[in-house]
Amino acid sequence: MSLAGLSFNALPPIRLPFRFFITAPIFILLCTGLIAYSGPDLWLGRWQPPMLALVHGFTLGFLTMVMLGALLQLLPVIAGIGIPHPELLAPLTHGLLSVGTLMLLWGFLQFHSSFILAAMWLIAIGLGIYISALFWVLIKHISQGDSLLGFRLAISSLLVVVLLGLALLGRYLGIEWIPPSKHLTNVHALWGLVGWAGILIIAVSYQVIPMFHVAPSFPLIVRRFLTPLIFIGLLLSIALPSYSLPALSLLQGLFALVLLLVIHRRKRKVPDTSIRYWQLGASALLLTSVLFFIPEGIWNEYLDIDKTLLLTALFMYLYLMSIIEGMLLKILPFLSYTHLQQRCLIDFTAMQYIPNMHEFFDKRHGQWLFYSHVISGLILIWVLFQPSYYFIFAIALVLESTGLLVIMLKTMKLYFAVDKKISQAAKDRVEPPTASFKNT
Amino acid sequence: MTSIPDYMTAKHRECDEVFSLAESNAAAGDWLLAAKNWQAFKDELLTHFGQEEETLFPAFEQATGMTNGPTHVMRMEHQQMRALLQDIDQAMKGQDKNTYLGLSETLMVMMQQHNMKEEMMLYPMMAQHLSQGEDIIESFKA
Repeated sequence: MSLAGLSFNALPPIRLPFRFFITAPIFILLCTGLIAYSGPDLWLGRWQPPMLALVHGFTLGFLTMVMLGALLQLLPVIAGIGIPHPELLAPLTHGLLSVGTLMLLWGFLQFHSSFILAAMWLIAIGLGIYISALFWVLIKHISQGDSLLGFRLAISSLLVVVLLGLALLGRYLGIEWIPPSKHLTNVHALWGLVGWAGILIIAVSYQVIPMFHVAPSFPLIVRRFLTPLIFIGLLLSIALPSYSLPALSLLQGLFALVLLLVIHRRKRKVPDTSIRYWQLGASALLLTSVLFFIPEGIWNEYLDIDKTLLLTALFMYLYLMSIIEGMLLKILPFLSYTHLQQRCLIDFTAMQYIPNMHEFFDKRHGQWLFYSHVISGLILIWVLFQPSYYFIFAIALVLESTGLLVIMLKTMKLYFAVDKKISQAAKDRVEPPTASFKNT
Repeated sequence: MTSIPDYMTAKHRECDEVFSLAESNAAAGDWLLAAKNWQAFKDELLTHFGQEEETLFPAFEQATGMTNGPTHVMRMEHQQMRALLQDIDQAMKGQDKNTYLGLSETLMVMMQQHNMKEEMMLYPMMAQHLSQGEDIIESFKA
């Protein structure tokens, strides 16, 4: 461990993560438009072009967008240093990824090769820059902790997802880097959902749950071996999917159980919406893992729905999205407070201007958002069985994403107002108001 | 013999636990018990700050020559937390539940981001640079 480069208050400017966060619900709103426009046919199978567009709008536009924004802030705290040149790299990645994702969605919907090509370049460069910067941080890291290994594996998974995604897109353009195969598409999806998003959430949970909810640490054996085993499972999925999928499903179920147990044993039991999101997510993950083991024969006899579609929806919407939305509710006031508090290290008296956590973010709004997420999640499952009710899901999703957007905007507005007040107070002290000069 | 990271991290957890008790009491409106646990938390926290500011930080600064680095930031954050303690004292006296819970969430956030920096970076560095680290911890236990 080296002392060089250590900086305890080197948080990148708050507008950088805010930029990623604010874009995320806007992509959900776009997805809603797509759901309303595509009608019931969208839900007939996972290979429909509008479904491909919807899934990528959600995974790149929402999930990845929030995760990249959160990593900007998490790394300086967890690894001891942040990404290099954040003021340059973060907006660049954000811009390229946003435009690239839009191009990709349009390319899928219209089968338009020039949009696909543009999307490939934009996403490859945008995520390539970010991934390189993250690897740089994780090589140079100066802290210690169980989360770091998980971060490395999650980012390596993202690299695999991007490379495989590019190769699959290449086939649209007649570039045959890989043979035609639905198996490779499944591998791409698995690495994205279970590797990039799933491993990152596990690594973050090791840190966040014990600290903010005064819960016991996750068992050492889990912290040491779970994420590497998942990563090995993902590697095996390339060659031996029939063995690796049950193993991965078991590992996910195990994590869900341990997570529920750790949460249950927390000492800090004041009502907290973000912990309810964690519980909802863990329950959905457990259910996904149990349903996976129902044999196809029995499944088809009793359930008139594509198994993969239902399990993916449960995993993506009720597990991944629940955790990420719940984390946003914690991260937004946390970041706002931490940034303002760091400013007051120099000017202690300005502490009086900083609102407390509940003033930054009204707890009731968080509860409403949670209920709206539960409702939209249940409606989504219902729509998978009855696609003709798709518009009800679209309405629920509009309400939820608008709610999230409004909560974010309110917190950010308050942040900038207080920030201005602190600057004004500092200025007033350096240059006393002219009126007081006249009086003396 | 206990190492600096082990002992000081365990103390963070002990503080968190008493803090959570006081917070639960306040949330349930049991102000008598809340006041008792809050006082116990404050005593524990201020003792911990004292051990860092008077013993560990100066020893680390002397060993590394870094007087304006991490320990400086940690000292300033201690001051901010002391100010929050006073605000919570006021809310406790006025039995103002909403303000208490808003401020206790704030203190929790501040403590945890502060603890993360100490546990993941500063304490391991102290263990590396202070040869007498375990003796210092023994003196804290006495």
